[in-house]
Amino acid sequence: MAKKIIPPPELLKKWEEEDKEFREIRKKYADWNYINKQPPLIKLALIIYIETGDIYKAAKIAGMTIGEFNEYRFKANIPNIT
Amino acid sequence: MQGVVDTCFIIDWAKYRRREILNNIFKLLLIHEETLAQIKSPKAVEYISQLLSRDIMRLYPWSSSEEEMYIKLRDEIAADPRIPALERPDILCLIIAYKTNSILLSENIGILRVTQFHPVYSKVRVWTSLEVLEQAVYKEVIKVNALEDFIKVVREYEIDTKHIFSRKRLKEVLERVEKWLRK
Repeated sequence: MAKKIIPPPELLKKWEEEDKEFREIRKKYADWNYINKQPPLIKLALIIYIETGDIYKAAKIAGMTIGEFNEYRFKANIPNIT
Repeated sequence: MQGVVDTCFIIDWAKYRRREILNNIFKLLLIHEETLAQIKSPKAVEYISQLLSRDIMRLYPWSSSEEEMYIKLRDEIAADPRIPALERPDILCLIIAYKTNSILLSENIGILRVTQFHPVYSKVRVWTSLEVLEQAVYKEVIKVNALEDFIKVVREYEIDTKHIFSRKRLKEVLERVEKWLRK
């Protein structure tokens, strides 16, 4: 088993703040009218994406590939942020 | 110049009105078949087909030694909620970039974070689309006479792809471009 490599605490703190900032941006831009009209699973996946920014997690929940889920993200006006 | 593309990056570029910038900067783009398998939208499929047929893009031949590198890296990264899930296709891209000394073209926050602290993979040069656009200025692939011209290019990218760059990173890039313009 490989030895775990732990990021330094200052990076972890920086990422935590970044995550918070990005989550707020995704929430602000999201088209909730579109999201609320989606079937339950897609709606849940879009909400998970807003919360986490994790497209793999969201695509898995929706039962889609990244490419397929990305089209819903696009229509829901949820920005990807880097 | 050689690059390795991940899923989100290439999907975004398929939507971008100035996507020819990418092949004007990179002589060769490498893609893993597992990245390819994630791409379904006709626009992105058509774009990738075009790049492959013009020999600008190539499928990377994955080997068993690289599979071992994948397992090691996956096990090394501690599960931490601040590192978004690192999924196999994107880890493979990082390994290909390391092995081939290519620039990793990625929009995956998890991967970007790994390269900020991992003793081996921090050597990999990673560009998001923002750095690609910045390099396009320096290589005069796009004509920019004033900072406003570059801001316009970035805004177009953000509109076409619904991808926003962190204001902090954007500020840093704008400062570098402004400095370059003054030369």
